[in-house]
Amino acid sequence: MEIGEKIKLEIDNITINYCFSCGMCTGGCPSARITDSEYNPRRILHRAVIEGKLDDDIWLCANCYTCQERCPTKTKVTDIVSLMRRIYVKNNGIPEFIKPLIENLHTYGFTAKIGSFENKRRERMGLPRIEHTDEIRRIIERIENE
Amino acid sequence: MSKNKYAYFIGCTTPSRVPNYDLSTRRIMDRLGIKLIDMPNAGCCGLYYELIDELTHLSMAARIISIAEDLKIDLMVICNGCNGSLIRANKKLRQNPEIKDKVNEILADIDREFRGIIDVKHYVRVLWEDIGIDRIKKNVVKELNIKVGAHYGCHLLKPSDDIKFDNPKEPQSLDQLIEITGAKSIDYYDKQLCCGGYVLTADKRVAYTMAGEKLRNVRSAGADIMVTVCPFCNVIYDANQRAIETEIKEGFNIPVLHYPQLLGLAMGYSFRDLGLEQNRIRINPKLFE
Repeated sequence: MEIGEKIKLEIDNITINYCFSCGMCTGGCPSARITDSEYNPRRILHRAVIEGKLDDDIWLCANCYTCQERCPTKTKVTDIVSLMRRIYVKNNGIPEFIKPLIENLHTYGFTAKIGSFENKRRERMGLPRIEHTDEIRRIIERIENE
Repeated sequence: MSKNKYAYFIGCTTPSRVPNYDLSTRRIMDRLGIKLIDMPNAGCCGLYYELIDELTHLSMAARIISIAEDLKIDLMVICNGCNGSLIRANKKLRQNPEIKDKVNEILADIDREFRGIIDVKHYVRVLWEDIGIDRIKKNVVKELNIKVGAHYGCHLLKPSDDIKFDNPKEPQSLDQLIEITGAKSIDYYDKQLCCGGYVLTADKRVAYTMAGEKLRNVRSAGADIMVTVCPFCNVIYDANQRAIETEIKEGFNIPVLHYPQLLGLAMGYSFRDLGLEQNRIRINPKLFE
């Protein structure tokens, strides 16, 4: 399915039609400012909707929702970038920089390692123990296998 | 739902990086007479799966919510990331019975069910709306005479259509919560700027430049300390402050406190009671005398 179609189906079938490329999203975007518009939500949206393409730059979004809050047509810019990331992962696999978090989720049920060091520290501080769970791995594997 | 009892969800970052946040939150809630019910093997809220697969994200979030549903009490989070992830999933599943059924099919494998009967609340919301400024103020025994740069972070307030808390453009909850301690919550440039945490693994330079901008703005406005309400924002500004200084070649040396540590000091708790010896940027105790 084309990216534009997926946006309409999964995010919003209404607001995206009113985006007139005004650039308010990019004007308020901290990642755009810091990267001299190498990250540019207006361009990313335009590219997805008009050309049906996405590129690596989507990973520079800080997910701060400033663009989405500012948008005069209430286009869900941040949610659309998140959707593009999911499409990217489907096409190219999970990027290397996210893999360690996912491995931790499988092993511990947390995105970070929480083991005996952390629990000893908690005990010293009078905090209750943290237990691992395999329920999260089971959810992930079940959906992956479907 | 009870406003004096919550299922207490601490997420991943707090137990792995900043257990003093957990400790100080328990201290202030105890003083306020709020009962927190632990969720010892809750695990992760599913936030990162928003970037990978939506059904997995919703199922992980629904799992956490279902634990609180069994207890028939609202869920209190202390991380902005968990706040956004769980509130958005809760809303989506309540509004879309088809997706809810699909998620419950998956949760049936682990003997759980999402019903959609409880609310997810960040503790700033619990403090500001459920407990209220007046009741908190009655527990302040020591007036703090310092200037504080408040950092709300993003997912406490945004996306505002989903979160529906405070005013996302000009929020005041945290400023007011800071000022009941006697401290001054200062205005500073670009107060709503993001910590950059979400980009950290993808591009350290972008993340640290973003975080450095905020530290610079807070310092220029004359703040003695900065206060955060999210463990990840805190890790960025406190634990990573030296790395930020190295990356952008600029010195800051701004102490960063979790909000419950600030309120805890005003409630008369000691540095040690609040785990303040664990904060990375050294805090001069004289500031609080």
